[in-house]
Amino acid sequence: MTVVPQGGGSVATGGGGGSGNLYEILDLILDRGLVIDVFVRVSLVGIEILKIDARIVVASVDTYLRFAEACNRLDLEEGRKAPSQLTDLVGEVTEGGSHGKAKGALSGAAEAVSDALKGGDDEEEDEEKHKEPAGRRERPARRPARRRKE
Amino acid sequence: MPVYVYSIVATSHPQHLTSLHGVGDPPSTLRTVRSEELTAVVSDAPEQLRPKRRDLGAHQAVQETLMADGTVLPLQFGFTTTDDEAVREVLEERAEEFTERLEALEGCVEYHLKAAQAEEALLRQILSESDEARTLNDQLKSGTGGPELPLALGELIAREVQDRQEALAGQLVDALRGFAREERLSQATGDDFLSVSFLVEQDNEKSFLGAQQDLAKELGEDFDLRLLGPLPAYSFV
Repeated sequence: MTVVPQGGGSVATGGGGGSGNLYEILDLILDRGLVIDVFVRVSLVGIEILKIDARIVVASVDTYLRFAEACNRLDLEEGRKAPSQLTDLVGEVTEGGSHGKAKGALSGAAEAVSDALKGGDDEEEDEEKHKEPAGRRERPARRPARRRKE
Repeated sequence: MPVYVYSIVATSHPQHLTSLHGVGDPPSTLRTVRSEELTAVVSDAPEQLRPKRRDLGAHQAVQETLMADGTVLPLQFGFTTTDDEAVREVLEERAEEFTERLEALEGCVEYHLKAAQAEEALLRQILSESDEARTLNDQLKSGTGGPELPLALGELIAREVQDRQEALAGQLVDALRGFAREERLSQATGDDFLSVSFLVEQDNEKSFLGAQQDLAKELGEDFDLRLLGPLPAYSFV
């Protein structure tokens, strides 16, 4: 599996198997694919974390207030000259090299999924952690918890 | 011993499995269970299976290696059964169904596209195009409106965001549909407004990728399009 380079300049690469892009196709591996009903699906603790990550319900007071605040912060004139937020993130991804995770561009919920992928106790996963910049691991996945209340 | 089942391929498929290992810790050894026409790739099932990088990666690596040499029916992650004999029975009983699916998917791969849009850019666009939103925002900034103003603005923006992103999602799918045989939408998650899989014939792969690149260029830097593939046809089995 590879991530095809995009026009915006984001070039992420990844091999198959335990690549950093695995979490981008989690829903395919877990929810799609052939189901053989006479077989048994093993209980997957942690799988429900994917379901939490449903798209934000737009119709909520919290969302309205957040949008209003975001609009209020926008300065229309200044903004036209400033680089967009996403461009910055794309830059980060490119710098990030083979991991190719547009992490900042995704919501906290997606981070939680990716944390779930990483947060294990087997050797392979520990190795992964050592390779990560220290700051990244300290970021707690607060947003999904908040979102559940919404 | 319970077995974990990864994929079903035609028995004529070369099944190069030597470089791979299966799920579990320590990693299990892959083997095949054959009927006359069909072969299942299996391993012993580990006692504990978790949707973690190691096991998901092993599952995915089997599919990718198999698809390099032919058509594969990838199972959903996590299916086990009692023993090899139970696998063989399924292969025999459902030979017709599986063979049909394999034939239908021959020469096809899946591409999965996720799209997100920078929120700031979208809000900016809405404020510049909607007089109502701009008026409310100006009132809010100058402090001239009532206490209901933030909610009114937010609700208007939320509706605009949803409408615009739905329309955009539709346009993106329309732009690529012509290069794919089938498509299947899934629930977009996180900041994404689109999550869709396409079944693409390998003969059309170049055109599909070209069209996707053009689309990314056209949309510009405020959009984050992530195309993953070629993948085994998880969404079309």
